[in-house]
Amino acid sequence: MSASGLDLKIADLTVVYGGVTALSNVNVTVPPGGFVSVLGANGAGKTTLVRSITSLLHLHKGRVRRGSIELGGKSILGKKSPEIVAAGVAQVPEGRKLFPNLTVKENLLCGAASRRDLGGIDESLEQNLELFPQLRPLLNQTAGLLSGGEQQMVAVGRALMSQPALLICDELSLGLAPKIVHRLFELLTEINQARGTSILVIEQNASLALEHAADAYVLELGRVLMEGTAAELRGNPMVQELYLGGGGEAHTSYAAIERPRGGGRRRRPAAGGAR
Amino acid sequence: MLLAFGNFTADPSVNLQLLIGGLALGAIYAVVALGFVLVYKSTDVLNLAHGEFLMLGAYFALTFLVSENLNFFLGVFVLLLVMLVFGLLVHYGIMRRMVGQGFFAIVLITLGIATIIRALLLIFYGPTERARLDLLPQGSFEIGGATVRHVDLIIFAVVAGCVLLFFAFFKYTRLGLHMRAVADDIEAAAAMGIDPDKVYAMTWAAAMVMAGLGGLLFGHVTGAIDRSIEAIGLRAFPAAVVGGLTSLGGSIVGGLVVGVIEQFANGHLGTKWREPVAFSVMFLVLLVRPTGLWGRKDLERV
Amino acid sequence: MTAVESSAARPEAHTYRPSAFQRILPFAIAAVVPFILGATTSDVSFWWKALITVIVLVAVARLAWKWTPRGELTHREDMRLWRTPSDRSWAAATTFGLLVLPFILASDFTPPMDFPWATWFAVVNLVLIFAMGAAAFNLLVGYSGQISLAHVAFLALGSIVGGIVGVQWSSGNMWLALPASAVAGAVVGAISGLPALRLKHLYLLLATFGFHFVMMLVWREYLQEYFGFVGIRFKGENSPRIASWLHWLPGIDPDQNGEFVITGQFRWYWVIMPITVLSILFMVNVVRTREGRAFAAVRDRDVSASLLGINVARSKLLAFAVSSAVVAMSGTLASFYIGSRGEDSFNVQTVLNYAIIIVVGGFSSIQGAIFGSAFFWFLPEWFKWAREELWLVRDIDFLSDYPSEIDLAIKGFLVVIILMFKPDGLAGMWRDLKAWLGRKLAGSQA
Repeated sequence: MSASGLDLKIADLTVVYGGVTALSNVNVTVPPGGFVSVLGANGAGKTTLVRSITSLLHLHKGRVRRGSIELGGKSILGKKSPEIVAAGVAQVPEGRKLFPNLTVKENLLCGAASRRDLGGIDESLEQNLELFPQLRPLLNQTAGLLSGGEQQMVAVGRALMSQPALLICDELSLGLAPKIVHRLFELLTEINQARGTSILVIEQNASLALEHAADAYVLELGRVLMEGTAAELRGNPMVQELYLGGGGEAHTSYAAIERPRGGGRRRRPAAGGAR
Repeated sequence: MLLAFGNFTADPSVNLQLLIGGLALGAIYAVVALGFVLVYKSTDVLNLAHGEFLMLGAYFALTFLVSENLNFFLGVFVLLLVMLVFGLLVHYGIMRRMVGQGFFAIVLITLGIATIIRALLLIFYGPTERARLDLLPQGSFEIGGATVRHVDLIIFAVVAGCVLLFFAFFKYTRLGLHMRAVADDIEAAAAMGIDPDKVYAMTWAAAMVMAGLGGLLFGHVTGAIDRSIEAIGLRAFPAAVVGGLTSLGGSIVGGLVVGVIEQFANGHLGTKWREPVAFSVMFLVLLVRPTGLWGRKDLERV
Repeated sequence: MTAVESSAARPEAHTYRPSAFQRILPFAIAAVVPFILGATTSDVSFWWKALITVIVLVAVARLAWKWTPRGELTHREDMRLWRTPSDRSWAAATTFGLLVLPFILASDFTPPMDFPWATWFAVVNLVLIFAMGAAAFNLLVGYSGQISLAHVAFLALGSIVGGIVGVQWSSGNMWLALPASAVAGAVVGAISGLPALRLKHLYLLLATFGFHFVMMLVWREYLQEYFGFVGIRFKGENSPRIASWLHWLPGIDPDQNGEFVITGQFRWYWVIMPITVLSILFMVNVVRTREGRAFAAVRDRDVSASLLGINVARSKLLAFAVSSAVVAMSGTLASFYIGSRGEDSFNVQTVLNYAIIIVVGGFSSIQGAIFGSAFFWFLPEWFKWAREELWLVRDIDFLSDYPSEIDLAIKGFLVVIILMFKPDGLAGMWRDLKAWLGRKLAGSQA
């Protein structure tokens, strides 16, 4: 078991999909054993950030144009995703992305794909079941048939199977009951403190993320808008307005975020055509 | 009603012979269908070149076992090894770049591969047909007035063995698990540290080895070895689909069912009905169960 | 494209609206000059005519470019098929080229190194027929996203209708057979499209492939019932002819027996070219209509399309019907042009050939069908010439030993290479070239 977490340094990262820039000059740092969260609305570039770290951009026809990503001082940019997982990065993908036709046990075992110490896999499985005792009776169930909360537990467990030095959770709260999400975040804090695993949480649910994380970044339209400790950001009036639902001015503020994009072409009535 | 048009006969021995012929044909279909299923199950590619792969196997069998006259087991080993290399070549040379492309583009590229194999075989082996292989035992015995060839039994055994082998492989080995994971969700698999590239390469290699085996077996039962034997690839489609393209066991049952139906259509209605009847059966199965009898049903997210 | 946008952005290019005369003139020149060139007999040498041809070609393209409405456009102007200067320029040049081509090919010019001039005419005609069929295929597969391998089945249907109407009922009435096969194609096409309402992707592909085999059975049964193993003869007494009451038309000189039979490449060209051009224009226009946009919506996501109020079933069936009607028509036309159709005229290799055409030309673009078809028919001719005449190449025995096999291999490799590296095929390369040229032109003007 790699006891201590590794630090992640993202510097000047610019990512494009075709001609569209999804991230520009993003700097994010996760200290070793740290708990960092990245906040942002839809389309802010959060998932793109995860894909850049785990080298899955090419599956979506995106590429890194500039910048560097370092894990524990070594560059992981341009490596293939199996190498990155082997280097210690595990992720809980957005929307869980379990293997629906595989059983829970098989799903968990897939998480250990990068491990070379075959003997230790059973031990990790047992650890996971202690962490999520609810999963024990479900081990031979097909994963696609589980409830959302159970699926998310399997997804977290699956990521932990690789004994990561850095755990990335993308939209952990998506579509889940608040109670389950709270429990999951408590578990993450526990893992962070007990095992020293560095954790990067990508979240839309800002209040929850700021409650558990030590540092936080706010991403908007592909740029880092703000950064600081979680306490600082919780106190920031703009964050309160935009992400914590405080204040009465939410409407005007959202209008600023969702400013019209593209729209160069004039729309015309749909008449005409072949005559 | 349809049967009234043909020379329908109620003679049990004739029907028994048709049944046995159908099962023998079905076993061949099952070999081919297994190749389709293998590739489709883990790479989501409908490989229209599988008939050509099989033809390649049959011609290589000619080269290694007849022209070079190697020892049977050594020859088969060399044949399968060469096919394995070709499988890796297909993946690393071509299919690797097609991951993520549209479904029809991938179907078309397999058609392109089929065309290349056809052309190259024509260039290197010429258009003249060769006698079929006779390396497996050629005898036969009788049951209830119908003849059973030894070759058919061997084919049966080989197919059943392969299915069991693949089944065990997918269920109990780490690589098999990873193959199923990639088939389920390639992105999630990659995120877990499974290398889809490696998995796909293994799949193509396995499919090619199956095709080599299939070519070797089919070379024993076809009329003659020439470039028309690639048609077996198309004719095995209904078998693969009836069984469900994601089910290993389904491919064997589908093969046998379609083989028997074809033989009966052939015997009672005439040769020209063979393909239309097989494809009509496939069509009916698709209408009732769009993913085949044992196929996996994927939920479509909207 | 780029050139157009940048010229529209230039300040001096405010609203410009040419007169009706200016709009028509380039096309009028393009339509008339070829016939004048064709009518002048051999007292003017080939090279002079070639020079005039090139000058006129450049002139009409240039004029059509210049006299294009730009700036603030009315809705009507904006919805035109040829809207931008480059569109109009290409349209004028193509019109001229299509009309002048048969006169060039029919001239008794012998190119150097025995370049296969004579066979080119036949190839051009085949290109046109196949382009029509392939474009219809692309309409179905590319624009509507309905995957089908039943394409060749409709070619066979076209031959059957041609056989019934143009051979059995009358001898050589292709003029009736063509609309009849379009109707038959539309009806059978809609029926063959029924599985598309329930099946998708792979399973739809297989279902349509099943339809292919059923149609092949029908074709063989039909042949054996009425024609035997020789196949249908569309030549000789069954060749289409122009009715005597139309002989007053210009350019129609009846033969000595008082008939005007469509035979020979030159006459066929004037039959095939308008049919192909009209049906391709028809399909291009279908794509621009409300129905055409519905095709695209259904292709992209049929559930969302249905939520927008698009009748998905209707849209899918319509796509099948339109495509199949045009394919069946091209099948009839091909039957009469080629002259005979037998048991082995349609097979899996034919399916493959159409696949090659649409891939090489450019997947899912109607323009690509034309490129692909041209490439498919010109490559063997060119390769044959290269094998026999081209310096160095003619010395490679290997090439002349296996001509057709190497043709096949080249086509296969091209399909693979194009799909791997340039999925939008020749049409895509053409677009890139135009964009590059446009940038160059815009750059030099700025």
